[in-house]
Parts: sequence; C-alpha cells; structure tokens
Amino acid sequence: MKIVSELEKISPGNVLTSKENKIPYLRDASYYTGEFPAAVVIPRNTSELSRIMKFCYENDVQVVLRGGGSSLTGSSIPNEECILLSLSRFDKIIEVRVDDNYVIAEAGVRLDFLNDELSKFNYFYPPDPASSRVSTVGGTLATNAGGLHGVMYGVTKNWVLGMEVVLPNGEIVQLGGPTLKRSMGYDLAALMIGSEGTLGIITKAILRILPKPECSGRILAYYRLIEDAGKAVSELKNKGIIPLMAEFLDRISMDSIKQVKDIDYPQGSEYMLLVDIASSVESLSRHLELAAEILRKFDPVNVRITTDAKEMQKMYDARKGLYSSILSQRNSKSDYVIIGDVVVPSSETAGTLKDIQKSIEKHNLQVALFGHIGDGNIHTNIFADVENNEKMVVVEDFQNEVGMIAVKHRGSVSAEHGIGLEKKGLLLREFQQRHTEGTLEVMKIIKNCVDPKNILNRGKMFDL
Amino acid sequence: MEEVEKCVNCGFCESVCPTFPASGYISSFGARGRVDLGKYLIKESLKKNPVDLNIADSFYSCLSCNACVVVCPAGVNAGKVSLIARKVITEGNYVSRSNEQPVAKMIVNSIMKYYNPLGLRKKCSKWAKDLEFDSRSETILYTGNMFQLMPYSKSLASIKKKVGKRNTDRFARLLASWPLLIKLASNLYDRDLAIRMEKSLKGIVMLLKKSGVSFGYLREDEPYPGTFLFELGYEQEFREYANKVYGMFKSRGIKQVITVDPHTYDIMKNEYPKVIKEFNIKVLHYLELVKTDIFRKTEETITYHEPCHFSRSETPFNSPVELLANLSDLRMPAFNGRATYCCGGPDDLIYTDLANSVSDARSEQLRATGASKVITSCPICFTNLNKYSSVAELSEFLEGLLI
Repeated sequence: MKIVSELEKISPGNVLTSKENKIPYLRDASYYTGEFPAAVVIPRNTSELSRIMKFCYENDVQVVLRGGGSSLTGSSIPNEECILLSLSRFDKIIEVRVDDNYVIAEAGVRLDFLNDELSKFNYFYPPDPASSRVSTVGGTLATNAGGLHGVMYGVTKNWVLGMEVVLPNGEIVQLGGPTLKRSMGYDLAALMIGSEGTLGIITKAILRILPKPECSGRILAYYRLIEDAGKAVSELKNKGIIPLMAEFLDRISMDSIKQVKDIDYPQGSEYMLLVDIASSVESLSRHLELAAEILRKFDPVNVRITTDAKEMQKMYDARKGLYSSILSQRNSKSDYVIIGDVVVPSSETAGTLKDIQKSIEKHNLQVALFGHIGDGNIHTNIFADVENNEKMVVVEDFQNEVGMIAVKHRGSVSAEHGIGLEKKGLLLREFQQRHTEGTLEVMKIIKNCVDPKNILNRGKMFDL
Repeated sequence: MEEVEKCVNCGFCESVCPTFPASGYISSFGARGRVDLGKYLIKESLKKNPVDLNIADSFYSCLSCNACVVVCPAGVNAGKVSLIARKVITEGNYVSRSNEQPVAKMIVNSIMKYYNPLGLRKKCSKWAKDLEFDSRSETILYTGNMFQLMPYSKSLASIKKKVGKRNTDRFARLLASWPLLIKLASNLYDRDLAIRMEKSLKGIVMLLKKSGVSFGYLREDEPYPGTFLFELGYEQEFREYANKVYGMFKSRGIKQVITVDPHTYDIMKNEYPKVIKEFNIKVLHYLELVKTDIFRKTEETITYHEPCHFSRSETPFNSPVELLANLSDLRMPAFNGRATYCCGGPDDLIYTDLANSVSDARSEQLRATGASKVITSCPICFTNLNKYSSVAELSEFLEGLLI
C-alpha cells in the first residue's frame, strides 16, 4: 500500500484502487484477461507522469501502459505486480501547421478525433487502422499501426517526425522535430515506433499530414477464387494503379456485414474486393473505369463502381467494425475471436492465402479471412473457446503454421498489431527461420540499456 | 448475458460515451467499462452470490443516451447493459442491495405514491390556471410534468452539491421511508427557470391553438409518465405504473396524447406498448400538429441541440431540424443526428459534477458552430445547457417567429 499512497501524493485524486474501477482495465481488445494491478493511475500531464516514473524506477515498480485499450495482442494487459498507467488524459491537439505539414498531438488523442480536427483544414493524417475510432496517437506509434490506407500511404512510421518521451527513469526527452529532414545520429524516434511501451512512454508526437485527396470512388468486385482476387490486385499495381485502399473479405466476413449492416453480396461470391481509387473530380470516372476493367479480367462474379458517399461510408464503417461484428458468425456461443496478423509482399498474397486455406482445413478450424490485400496483410480470425486448453493447442499450432507460411513467402508474423503477449514465440520463430536470431539479441541489449530494471511493460514482446 | 457475450471489447462504445471523458477517463464510467463490469458480474455470480462489488456509481451514472448503441459494430447495446444492471441492483439478486441509490429509491417511492417524482402534481398544473382547454376532447396535451419539474430538479441538485453526497444519501433514505416529507421540496425551486419553463408550455399551447388544434389538459390529475422508473431499472414498478397511467387515460376516453418533450414522447411511443397489452393511444409530438405557414423566416444564425431521445429513439423524430432549417440559418454542431451528444441532464440530480462536465463539453461543441443562439426542444437539455450559453427552448423561439 506504500506504493499507492506515494502515487496518490504525486497524482492526487488520479489513483484508482477499488476492484470495480480496476476491472475494465484487465482487458484490451485481445482475448487476454490480465490480473488486478496494484493501482490504475491516470496522470494529468507529462511532469506528473515523469515523477510517477521516477518513483517507480527508484522503487522497482513495474509499469504497464494503456492508450485506447484497442491492442489485439495483449500489449496493455496488466499483471498483479504492476501499476497500470492510462494515457487517456493526454487528449489535446496542441498545434496544427498546414504550412509546415505537421500536427502536434498528445498521446491519448484518438485518430478519428485527430482527423476530424484536421479535416477543418482539408488535411488528414494517413495511417488508418480499423480501430481509428478508439486507437490513440501514442498507442499507434507504439505498435507501428497500419490500416486500410497502407497500400498507398504505408504505416505509422512513415508519418512520424518527432515525439516527446518519458524514459523509464522519469527523464523527459525530445526525439526528432518538426522538419521533414533531420540527420543527427541515431534516429531514436524511429526506435520508439513499434517498441510497444517497453522503452519509454510517448506523451506527444509530431506527425506529418497531407491535404485530403480531391475525391475518391469505390469498386466492389466479387470472386469465386481468392487467387483471382489476388492476381487482380497485383495486376492493378503492374499497370501503375496504386489504390487508396484495397481490402478483401471472405464469405464469412461478407455474411457478417450482411447480418449486421444489411449489406448483401451477389450469389456465388466467395471473396470480395473493396478497391478505392483517389483522383481529381475531372479524372475520377476514367480512373475508376480503368481499374474496374483490370478487375474484370480475372473471372469475377460481379464488378461494380460506386461513388455514392452514403453507400461508401456504410461499407467503410462495416469493414472497420468487422473484427467486432464477425463474432456473429461463430458456430458455438462459447467461441471468441482470435485475430491473426501476417504480412507478405503483396505479389505473394494469392499464394499465401492458398496455403493458409490448406492449413485451416488441416487444423479443422472455423476461420474468417479478411485484410488489406493491397499491402499483403492478411487477418486470420479464428473462432475458438479460449478457455478450452485442448482447442487452444490447435489454435496455437495453426497460428505458428500461418506465421511460418508468411515467412516462407518473404513476409512476417506481425504486420500491424505488434507482438504483445501473443506473438512472443512467433517473433523468435521468425528470426530463427530467417537465421537472424542476433536481431532479437540486439533488441534485448537496447532494452537493457534504456530500461535496465525492466520495469516498462515487462514480459511484452520478449522475455529477458 | 446475451447482450454482453456479443462484445469483443473493441472500445468503439467508449469512444463516444460522454461520461467517460467527463469522469476524467475512468473506464468504469464509460460504456465499455460498464459492459466489462457486466461480464465480470455474470462470471463471478456463478461462483459466489451475491458478488461483492460496488457497481452503483458505474451503472447509475450511465445517461441512457444510447450513443454507444449507434457505433457498436456487433450490435451490443451497452445502454441496455446499464438498465439491466440497475434492475439487478434493485432486485438484489446478484449484488448487495446496498448498491441501490438512495436518491433513486426516494424518487421511485414518490412516483408510485403520488404519480410525480416529488409529489407535486398540483404545483405542476399551476402554469395553466388561466388557460382554457376543451374538456370534452379525446385528445389531450400531455406535459408529463417534465417542464414543470425542472426548476425543482435544478434546486435539489444545487442543494445536494452544498450538503455533499453522504448527507444527501442519508436524507434520501429518510424520504424513501417517509414519502410525505418529499413535499417539503415544493418551495425549493429555481424561480427564473420556473418562469422560462412556464413560458415554454404556454408557447406550445399558443402554437397548437394557432394551428387550429383542439385538446384537453388533465391539470392536477396529470400523471408523470414514469421515465425515472424505467431508466433507474425498476422494471416491475414501471410496468405496474405505466398500466395505471394508461388505465387513467382510457377511463377518461383519451384516444390521442400530444407530448411536449422527447422523454415523454419516447417512453409513451416506444416503451408503453411493450408493457401494456393492446396499447391503443396515439402518441404525437406537438410539432406534428403545428402548421408551418404560421411562422415568418429569420436571418438569425442558430444551432440546434438534438435531444438523444429524438435522434436515437427507436422512432427517430427529426421534425425540429427540418422546421428550423426552413425558418433560419441553421448550423448543426459537429455531433448531430444519430451522433448527437448528450447534454448530461439525466445525471444532474445524482451525479451533478459529471452532468456539468458533460454539458460543458456539449456547450463547447455548440459554441464552435459560431451561431448566436442555441435551440433545444427538451426541458432537461434546456436546463443543463442554459447554464453556459444563449439557449432558447424550441417553442419559445418559434413563438417569436409567429406571423
């Protein structure tokens, strides 16, 4: 209790200790449930956060971080020896500079809120994870989040210029800055991206922004075979067409949005492509028709174009909520969704999906497939009772096999969700498969240097 | 169980829940946290019953604004989870009855005894003492006492703030046992607000009469519709009460009611038919009967705060937006339509600070439109937002535009 009373002195009124108040922090959006932390603290500002970290460092208190609580790999799951730090109160957009193409936002700002603000200037921040309504600036930097626009704009790391970070010992450091170019030794801001709260606490970030595309339209293409859908997207790129978004959904996913959002699909369709094309008002029809023409060459069930804003928004919302709505398609009420997240070079997507299908059949699992086909990112959504140990052994074996399929196709076990608790084993397997175990050792050395007491997010990503 | 088991904890609901930021981002005061508590309660109750948890503040602070329902991709109704949890509390089956809110219990007892949350039916009819109605009409103006209760509610909230939660709860427990004492509240009201509320009700009568509508009014026999019973989780009491109110209307040959606020409109239109067999009274909002050609247009720039119980009702009611857009330079706030943001009002009596924080946030959104005036069509919204901005109740605004 000494810890709690000391924390209460540093951040009066912001330390939660009751069971009722801690319960919601035991879970994020993954299937993990944590243990009750000693306390949940919601600091008001960087200075307070710094003093909390100084206290924790001096007293060997573990700290687990939480942004929007939308992690899919258990990155923000607490244990009973830690305190949980919520960054929710870091909720301000500090500065929008369209002349210099950047915005400075605090870590707890949710991405949709950020884009609502930027849209007043006709600008936007491109990384667009499906959880953008919930996920925060800090959390998406810490996991190097991707999303639906990855095919055109890449992932979070491409859009970060700098950040403020509180180190494990409480020291506050500024990394990078508001310029597009900066060459001054190790890029420590880059090091923080994807570090999942194991090296420091990002409290604010300087992010690159872009003017919004003038307009966009959507092609909805339906196929019987995933190879055809995969080849169609590859051919788009071969012809020099980079979509704003290129998503695929399998039949289970299509059934889910049909049930929840009443969005139907043509009979005989097994896979669906959502391809967005950005263009100027004058050229949009021509560019959409060009892309649709390519998609029609690969034996589709149906291809149609829409520029109806309401229809596009409805479909976009349905796709963004798919991880949640897909639970409606489970065979058993005790099942939950375990979402996988592998990536391959996009030209390998079709072959990878074929191999994954074989693995699903081999493991006799119910799995829904959807993902960002434009950048080769495939989400395997496994329906399983997480409390059934026997079943979870099969799930783990399947996850391992899918991970290695991705590596075989020149890809990776994790695209945009990070490693967290879930993929620690897979991370090691990928490095082993690629004969580069030394990479993991370098990561551990860095962790040891920055956080020698291993107090930040201990046990996430890897064990020391 | 059915409601929470569809949830994967994605947090979409939390991102729109007004009480989450208003509480200082404490998760148990957000929609996802409430669902998590519901899940935990179900799981633990299988092991030990009753579960040792203090869940009252989390669930009673839910505004029942249903913002969460609109964004949930899985169709989970987090608002319904709060309603169910309150029912669980009142029944005392899974958690200790010590979770029951003393203020809520006090109000419920008064409603059941006096057909009014504060036992003030007579006072609630005073606004109309000089007005004439058609006593033979099968259509009545049904205020549900909502406008009239606001001046008392505001005063009680301010007293509660002064005396603190513990004393309020102690006094509320006493009143719950001795409902007669609640009538002491009859002199505790905000006089300025009472004048505004009376003006709004009279304005509604004028708009209807100008439109040639003939209707009666039950005066001091008019009952409160029972909204508190429903929203505080007193399901059995609500069922019993709604049937009594319905029986009262039917015994007077009433076939149509003209409601004047979103809460009464929503509960009569959507909840009464669920608990009353063969419910056959037509429920209208007064704007459905008001002619549009009795108003002149204005160049004034206004914004309209849409009440949750209009925009997110099972039967959404958008007539005020359409009318105001025709009559003025209407600038809607960023959160509008189904995404409208609650005024915080439903929390005002029990969680006053939380309510103030929600209304601060909403006022800021309304201010950002740059409009010179905020219009709302709900006495609760009016009372909560009026603390900070230039707010007019819809009928008051419309009365000023009469030709």
